Amino acid sequence: MTTAPRIVTVRQNILKTNDHTAAGNRQTFQAAGVRAINLASSPGAGKTALLERTLRDLAAEMKMAVAVGDLATDNDAARLRQWGAQAEQIVTGTVCHLDAAMVRDVLLRFDLKALDVLFLENVGNLVCPSSYDLGEAARAVLISTTEGEDKPLKYPTMFNTADVVVITKMDLADAVGFDRDLCRENIDRARPGVKVIELSSKSGDGLAAWYSFVRGER
Amino acid sequence: MHEASIALSLIEVACDVLREHGASRASALTVRVGQWSSVVPEALIAAFPACAEGTPLEGATLTIERVPGVGDCPDHGPVELDVRRGLRCPLCDAPTSTLVQGDELELDSLEIA
Repeated sequence: MTTAPRIVTVRQNILKTNDHTAAGNRQTFQAAGVRAINLASSPGAGKTALLERTLRDLAAEMKMAVAVGDLATDNDAARLRQWGAQAEQIVTGTVCHLDAAMVRDVLLRFDLKALDVLFLENVGNLVCPSSYDLGEAARAVLISTTEGEDKPLKYPTMFNTADVVVITKMDLADAVGFDRDLCRENIDRARPGVKVIELSSKSGDGLAAWYSFVRGER
Repeated sequence: MHEASIALSLIEVACDVLREHGASRASALTVRVGQWSSVVPEALIAAFPACAEGTPLEGATLTIERVPGVGDCPDHGPVELDVRRGLRCPLCDAPTSTLVQGDELELDSLEIA
């Protein structure tokens, strides 16, 4: 016996399992009193450098740790551990982004109750990480002065989901002819009204605004 | 490129729907992909057949419906956005604070074989 094909209306988010896991992570963070910050950028924009500086400068003030995604190596976690903070690598293999299940699994390695801030350093990539909620309290998207000012429009989803956009390597801005106004205009087109912080992890300029964001100050 | 991951999630969602309907196979499915979803429809279509191999979705036809971005202009109401210009009203260039539509990534319907 054969029956005629039947069309079923579904209308379900394809990433609902990830979103569900992310909601669980968010509850875990809230229950432990940890502020989780998801950092995303293209490769080489300076996520690890900014975190190294942050771990060093805020060590006396708060307890921080990092979960860092990388396709293959343990290099970033090793760099971050130098500053005395716990840093756990999430080796993603062929996957170009962190997802909520990877974060849920790595959380078992942390004593969350002892932490104030947990940084989730995403895989360097401005496309894929944008689709995956990790359960973070806030998402920071970094763009460096050595990249094109049009990146916010080339990668609109990533910038459109940012709670803060950080322009890094400001110490190189003049040397590379960085067009600050154009970059800020494009950021605002991708995410109207978003807070923008300009800083240099090397010189330390602009870090106060970043630290205020890390603390969760308004 | 995360379309293979998206394809696997899509198959998982579709298999759940088949199970709920007591069905064993799907012959076609329609997915809505927003212009602001960061998913490239062509790449998803390319990744799908290999991901579907050995699942109840094997051989199913994947159709993608592209969903344009829509913003809410303070003066002009809902307006279709140009992704190259960002969240700006195409008529007056005013910022449209949020996306009303265009970040979709959803299984719209499927055809049970």
